[in-house]
Amino acid sequence: MTTPTQSSSSGGGAPGLRYPSNKKTIYDRNLNRSKNAELSRAAFAYLFVEMISYAQKNVRNLVDLEKRLNEQGHPLGLRLLDLLLSRTSNPLSSIRPTRILPLLQFIAQTLWRHLFGRPADALERSESDAGQYMLYDNEPLVNQYISLPREMSQLNCAAFVAGIVEGVCDGAGFATESVTAHSVGEQQAEGGGTGGGGGMWPGKTVFLIQFKPEVLEREEILGRGGG
Amino acid sequence: MLVVFALFIISKAGGLIYNREFHTGLSKLSSNDYLMLAGSFHGMHAITKQLCPAPPTPNVQPASAAGLAPSPFSSRPTGIEVLESSHFRAQCFQTLTGTKFLLFTEPQQPNIDSIMRKIYDLYADFVMKNPFYTVEMPIRCEKFDRGLDGFVKVRS
Amino acid sequence: MVLYSFYIFDRHTECIYSRRWTPRPTSSSGKTARPQSGSSITSGDGTVTNRRNMSHADDEKLIFGLVFSLRNMVQKLGGEDDTFLSYRTGEYKLHYYETPTRMKFVMLTDTKQNNLRPYLHQIWANLYVEYVVKNPLAPVEHPGGVGVANEMFERGLDTFITAVLPA
Repeated sequence: MTTPTQSSSSGGGAPGLRYPSNKKTIYDRNLNRSKNAELSRAAFAYLFVEMISYAQKNVRNLVDLEKRLNEQGHPLGLRLLDLLLSRTSNPLSSIRPTRILPLLQFIAQTLWRHLFGRPADALERSESDAGQYMLYDNEPLVNQYISLPREMSQLNCAAFVAGIVEGVCDGAGFATESVTAHSVGEQQAEGGGTGGGGGMWPGKTVFLIQFKPEVLEREEILGRGGG
Repeated sequence: MLVVFALFIISKAGGLIYNREFHTGLSKLSSNDYLMLAGSFHGMHAITKQLCPAPPTPNVQPASAAGLAPSPFSSRPTGIEVLESSHFRAQCFQTLTGTKFLLFTEPQQPNIDSIMRKIYDLYADFVMKNPFYTVEMPIRCEKFDRGLDGFVKVRS
Repeated sequence: MVLYSFYIFDRHTECIYSRRWTPRPTSSSGKTARPQSGSSITSGDGTVTNRRNMSHADDEKLIFGLVFSLRNMVQKLGGEDDTFLSYRTGEYKLHYYETPTRMKFVMLTDTKQNNLRPYLHQIWANLYVEYVVKNPLAPVEHPGGVGVANEMFERGLDTFITAVLPA
């Protein structure tokens, strides 16, 4: 017997999904069943270790690595948008955010609470660029155990969270040029803003959300109609 | 008052993967000497394990760990746990995976077990959960350093 | 209090006296009861049987090499005036005393014993010096242990140990 046939037959029946004996898969559960469930932080940390080593395979540079982490987060954002909206108090009447501010509030409050158990620390609009928003997290959970090697000091692994944010924006119909994560703990945050506070929050991270021009155009039209 | 002189971490192959001095009190050695010291300690640790004069007493373990699942490690003799000299005391803790923590303190230092426990916690968090750390390699993790600093500074 | 063994090494690294006290029989009965608990776990048994195959002379060489290295390590770290006192594992404790003539006295006991260095010093001063060094019939050096294990020294050691280390 050759090895390939052995490995395929070991799965028992059709390849792909394997069903538990009581025929209840994870898809048969009520979506709200895990609403208040908590996940072990250590379990996530070890999973994240593997996700990063996976993303690091054959990667050319740090920009590439951040892009891959971003791509890992993107589908999560799409799904979370649906899940979180379906869990609001009145799911049938709830609609997705249609304006920028409610969308960002949704991300900073609902999404952040769901993922990290607390809201994001600050939300700002860029003074120089109308399409750019800044979302601050003083201590990103994904970076809690990470010490960057010196040659990678420019990297911020919260690029994964940036991918989730980008997914939510995309799913809600707000196309983005990019969502990126940058460390601002070491130096003062540019543009004055809230100030870096390097001593207090060495891991402080800003998520730069850059919307596409058409989104801003639509926002302006909606603003005129509404006001 | 907490006086911790130094901390060594020795990999399961006997290499020195972390070496940190907190408080002067031990002689300054070259990094090469520290490496050799770690290697020879690794060997001595193995010998002390072999010299165990009494056959392991299996009835001691179940009594202390009642209710826990039987561990395959229970009857294995341990190597050096505490070494005393007139100037310092060295406490050695070996994890189940063979990494050794060697902590040098003043001879009369109390509560070394809890200090060791805390160091092990920091190691498990900031070294083993760090995606950029390769096991068995020298430890260069800023957050681990900072955690140790905070801990030793707070306690002293 | 359990006393396992006692060794004297001379300045030529040779073991010139050794004495063993067999451990309590309870532990050996425990050992025969062990094999039933899973045969796959043999690491513990392996070391025990290995130890049975090792001769006492091997033990003595190992112990000498060990205390010699530990003593060097201690002096390297703690400075020239530092002295190695003892170490403890989960199973036993080794006590160490070195005379000004670089003779080494080593005693293995259970782990609960406090440092026995004062007793080792007394064995040297009151027994070894009295009954071996001052014995006109004993040679100056003791290759192979000649002249150490004389009747007076043995009896003195027995009395001393039963007096200061009651079982």
